[in-house]
Amino acid sequence: MEGGNIINIKDEKYPELLKKIGKEAPEKLYYKGDWDDNIFDNCLAVVGSRHLTSYGKMITEQLVTEIAAASITIVSGFMYGGDEAAHRVTVEAGGRTIAVMPCGIDMIHPEYQEELYNRIIKNEGLIISEFEGKFPPASWTYPKRNRIVAGLSKAVLIIEAGLNSGTLITAEFAKKFGRKIFAVPGPLTSEVSKGTAKLIKEGASVATEAKDILDFYKIISNKKSVEVKPQQLVGQFKDDIEKRIIEHLKKEPSEVDSLARILSASVAKVGTALSLMQLKGFIRQEGDKYYVD
Amino acid sequence: MLIKIPSAANLGLETIKVDVEVNLANRGLPGFEIVGLPDKAVDESKERVRAAILSSGIEFPAKKITVNLAPADIPKEGSFYDLPIALGILDSVLQFEIPEESLFFGELSLDGSLRHTKGAFLFALFAKEKGFENLFVPKDSANEAAVIKGIKVFPVENLFQLVSHFLKRKLINQAVYKEPEDRLPIPAEFDMREILGQEQAKRAAEISAAGGHNIIMVGSPGSGKTMLARALPGIMPPLSEEESLEVTKIYSIAGNIPPGGSVISYRQFRAPHHTASPVGLIGGGTRPHPGEISLAHRGVLFLDEFNEFPRQVMEAMRQPLEDGYLTISRSKEIVRYPADFMLVASANPCPCGYFNHPKKNCVCTPRQIRKYQKRISGPILDRIDLHVIVQPVDIEEFSENQKASESLESSGIIRERAILAREIQKKRFNGESIQSNAQMKNSHIKKYCKLTKEVEQLLKQASMKFQLSARSYMKMIKVARTIADLEKAPEITVSHMAEALQYRSKIYESI
Repeated sequence: MEGGNIINIKDEKYPELLKKIGKEAPEKLYYKGDWDDNIFDNCLAVVGSRHLTSYGKMITEQLVTEIAAASITIVSGFMYGGDEAAHRVTVEAGGRTIAVMPCGIDMIHPEYQEELYNRIIKNEGLIISEFEGKFPPASWTYPKRNRIVAGLSKAVLIIEAGLNSGTLITAEFAKKFGRKIFAVPGPLTSEVSKGTAKLIKEGASVATEAKDILDFYKIISNKKSVEVKPQQLVGQFKDDIEKRIIEHLKKEPSEVDSLARILSASVAKVGTALSLMQLKGFIRQEGDKYYVD
Repeated sequence: MLIKIPSAANLGLETIKVDVEVNLANRGLPGFEIVGLPDKAVDESKERVRAAILSSGIEFPAKKITVNLAPADIPKEGSFYDLPIALGILDSVLQFEIPEESLFFGELSLDGSLRHTKGAFLFALFAKEKGFENLFVPKDSANEAAVIKGIKVFPVENLFQLVSHFLKRKLINQAVYKEPEDRLPIPAEFDMREILGQEQAKRAAEISAAGGHNIIMVGSPGSGKTMLARALPGIMPPLSEEESLEVTKIYSIAGNIPPGGSVISYRQFRAPHHTASPVGLIGGGTRPHPGEISLAHRGVLFLDEFNEFPRQVMEAMRQPLEDGYLTISRSKEIVRYPADFMLVASANPCPCGYFNHPKKNCVCTPRQIRKYQKRISGPILDRIDLHVIVQPVDIEEFSENQKASESLESSGIIRERAILAREIQKKRFNGESIQSNAQMKNSHIKKYCKLTKEVEQLLKQASMKFQLSARSYMKMIKVARTIADLEKAPEITVSHMAEALQYRSKIYESI
């Protein structure tokens, strides 16, 4: 499929919402995958920092899995970090996703994400670019790409963003086009939560659960409540150390050394418990920190 | 007139007998020639010998002198032929009697005195093996040679003294072996109790010392990887007498024993820089020399910034890591140096060093990180049993009580546990060719590490979840065995295995 297919702005199939951004709408769109008009009906842009933290990764997984399962199309920019996480989670949840490329349609950028690229197409998603052939990505093509990401979507969900980041550029476009902006709150000590904090201060909606977004799209989540009450979960552990670990991890994800210190237990004992709990699927490890799953 | 003085030549760690034949001919022009494949150091011996004899107040014979080092087809190197050559010349002039079964060894200074010369220990071993009774060595090297019992070692200060000895004017007293300071490990640069936090890394260090496991520490700059590595020798069990002799051999041949020094009685800590040449690290050269990995024999080889080491060096370490020795083949000789070391490696997680750092932001792209991590060869990682992530310590997280070093375990206490664990292993592998859990091959694991159904199930579950390779699967068993030994437990239990899983490779997993 060298060269991809082309959709012209005068074409009937051209996405309505994108046309509405007026002069900035791209004349032509190159695409790969099966063009199905209704993929554009309910689009949500999910964007995050390139340097997504383990927190951001977890939040993406939590929110996007449910949103994608509710047949909302997830749009993002295929960059590593936040974009990649959004695409991957969608694909894994069996949802449809649109990747807007900052380069020519015949290129995959970054090239090592080829496997994800193929999975997007296989899952009835789309690869879109306004650049033809092997047009190389450049510093000015990224912000241009971001305007399409925002333009295609009714709302934008910002997971994590630094100040002066490309992610905030996408938010700016969304504001300009009059699209709804959701931002995920995060710890203020983190560089990549400063951008989202700024957005919230400026009036963006706070997203803490998938319902916040689904309500906006007027879709009722069909996800059954599987949340286990903290008390119930803790009750499952007969072992004292496991109980205390869970209780602490609920408050704050930690690494093994600080857990041992806080619980005043030997690191060997804590490590043993952590391995067992991880195998049972109660907790998980991201980087060197443990989280309650 | 022909004089024959016995001496020896070292080929790697092996020593062969060499006869120094000295002929003084009355016919022909006066001159001095050495034949028998001498290297530059041996050839220059002529000038040293001539000056030393003159400085000793003895006239140098104006004859045609020919020295042959027999057998003539083996290359000779080193400066220790000075003494036998000088002695041969002096003997043919002064006609004294040299007791049979005597071996001579030493480098001469121009003033006639003898200098500390490398390899004395190997000579003494050779003398004992071949039934020589007397060994004459420089005074500074005498303690090194006197370790070997059953031979008489004579410390020689200068040429004149030796001549007086043979002319029976003034005898040299036999050297008495001075025991080196007790066989304790060297006081390592740091005590474990000086290191705040890093609980898991310390525990991993304990396991590695107890089972001889190789270990890699991954963490940001300043997180304390180097400090931990330098504290490691302090928790390792002391060298056994046999091991200590093995190490001394290597140090003697490499010239790393100081004047007056004796056997190496403590585990060595070698920390070569990554810019060191491959030959310097691994060993080799036209006349194969032991490298850093052999100098770390029975000790610790610490490779800081592991991914900066050239690929060639890493690949060359595979054989020694597997077999415990290194074979260097040259067209004329094949030399085998022991290199049974514990590898302690440290690495940054990414080029900038701050990947997963709690405070600082990493500026690397995934591509850069991948490339950086791939610099460590997979087969080498496969041979490293323990993987730990070392995080920078935030001092504010500690309570006053926790900050007090008294609350922390000292290296001495940890070492006691490691010694006990090693003793259990020694008993276990009695009659086998291995001594520690880390050295177990698959056949040993099958024989000595029978897993209960429960433990096996846990491990199988873990290898699915964490995608452990077959080799990692075996590594986990070895590590669990050591953890059990530390507790003196006869069987590996679920909790031993669960703890072992903590040390599986995590961030370098994908390579």
